[in-house]
Amino acid sequence: MIELSHLTKVYGDIAVVNDVDMHVEAGTITVIVGTSGSGKSTLLRMVNRLVEPTEGRILVQGNDVSKMPAHELRRSIGYAIQNHGLFPHWTVARNIATVPMLLGWDRRKVAARVEELMELFQLDHAQFAGRYPHELSGGQQQRVGVARAMAAKPALLLMDEPFGALDPIIRGKAQADLKAIQRRTGTTILLVTHDMDEAIHLGDRIAVMDGGNLKQYAPAADILARPADAFVDDLIGAVDRPFHYLTLGSVGAAVEPGEAGGAPLAADASLYEGLGALLWSGRKAAPVVDAAGTPLGRVTLDSIADRAARPR
Amino acid sequence: MIRDLIRPGTILRLVVFAALIAFLLAPDRFAGLLAPLTSNGAPPIYHQSSLVDLTLSHLFTVAVSTLAAAIVAVGLAIFVTRPAGAEFLALSRAVVNIGQTFPPVAVLALSVPIMGFGEGSTRLALFLYGLLPIFENTLVGLSTLPPAVVETASAMGMTGRQRLLKVELPLAMPLIVEGIRLSAVIGLATATIGSTVAAKGLGEVIVAGLLSNNLAFIVQGGVVTGVLAVLISDGFQAVARHAAKRRGVSSGAPPAEPDEQQAAA
Repeated sequence: MIELSHLTKVYGDIAVVNDVDMHVEAGTITVIVGTSGSGKSTLLRMVNRLVEPTEGRILVQGNDVSKMPAHELRRSIGYAIQNHGLFPHWTVARNIATVPMLLGWDRRKVAARVEELMELFQLDHAQFAGRYPHELSGGQQQRVGVARAMAAKPALLLMDEPFGALDPIIRGKAQADLKAIQRRTGTTILLVTHDMDEAIHLGDRIAVMDGGNLKQYAPAADILARPADAFVDDLIGAVDRPFHYLTLGSVGAAVEPGEAGGAPLAADASLYEGLGALLWSGRKAAPVVDAAGTPLGRVTLDSIADRAARPR
Repeated sequence: MIRDLIRPGTILRLVVFAALIAFLLAPDRFAGLLAPLTSNGAPPIYHQSSLVDLTLSHLFTVAVSTLAAAIVAVGLAIFVTRPAGAEFLALSRAVVNIGQTFPPVAVLALSVPIMGFGEGSTRLALFLYGLLPIFENTLVGLSTLPPAVVETASAMGMTGRQRLLKVELPLAMPLIVEGIRLSAVIGLATATIGSTVAAKGLGEVIVAGLLSNNLAFIVQGGVVTGVLAVLISDGFQAVARHAAKRRGVSSGAPPAEPDEQQAAA
């Protein structure tokens, strides 16, 4: 889907992005994580040419982006940012319709698409379509921002700290919603964040950047199990590592035959949630059921603990 | 809407406007009011020209020069805020500032030999004088837009022209209108000096009053000009308010907390 080769951006004497090679699979969420000044946003912004690379090449769906007119390229790529960047003088509906209108879609098609997206992002059309951005809460503004980015059904969506301005509870829901919507639409997402939790929660693959260099690019489990260097290790945090690791596995994978008392756990809950439930209810084991409620067996503290240990 | 109309301020403006029209159409009815300002039996009402004609030509002179100043100043501000024109920013600021610091009387004195007596010279002076407020306001409006909004406009795939017309100008509009208002009001007052170079306008009444030592002439010319300025200023402010209302508070506090919970539920 995206192919970065030898991508470099130099400002003055400083290489903000230094010789990065990266391949992003279609239909996946790739998260670029790093501290501020790591070059992660610059990298993202080179993909839709908000920043022009000093050296190197970017292919999106096999096309060299530097060969396309910038505005046409950008209409084909969704873009959402932290402070949503909604046009304050346009209503919610007009904001969402931005790219379809630029592409000259037929009015009825645009209206239908806006309605579809507002439903997808749980914004009541009758209530919100005619409102202005300043009449919305932060979480609603953010959803409108993402809806706008997806309006023309782009195959690729770029997101720069899209949840950075949200409070933790709304952020968690927004992340879960994004993941669900991505699974449904199959959009390829390239997302930038400084939050390792967010990266592990959302990313099929995680790219860790530091000082303009791509330190490690691997699935979340690999990053946790085998951090490439001390920096990646630090970013994960020694204390949090086993818990991060547990968020990646499901209770279903740790099921063993047997009986246990108390409230059952869902098989698709994460091991992290399973651990929490066991610890809080003071049990050593809990029954596991599938989505239909059929008992599958049980999960024990020991079997969860085994899966939190460093893989060998 | 109805409640807006019956506010005391609105009523006062309507009364003032009605009084102005009444005075212009039938000034002789107000002769008694102005007579105490005259001496030696001098006429209290100016009759050498019709006050309506003078007022209309005064307004027309201001309208023409303000419109020209708005077109040039907004155009210039747009140009110097584009990448291609950025290097002209300092230069154009200097030129426009000179236009403002140059006294209008001096512009008149210098332009009369070139353009002759009459409206032409007055319009030139008002035009130069009106550039600065519009230019500076447009510049501020265009250069203080929220960066996230301008960047997303590009990131959505707007061309430079689309970004300017659909996003930047509409968002800067309240400030631009404010600049035009300032220019128009300054122009209304300044246009009175045009009468010193034989331009038709309300200055003629004031000048006549000064020459014949007739306080009634000075007052009627001055008050009519002043009332026009206040009413026109109000009109522009209403337009600017309307433009700003749409824009809302881009970074304001979210008022819709209950909706958030409702939507999340």
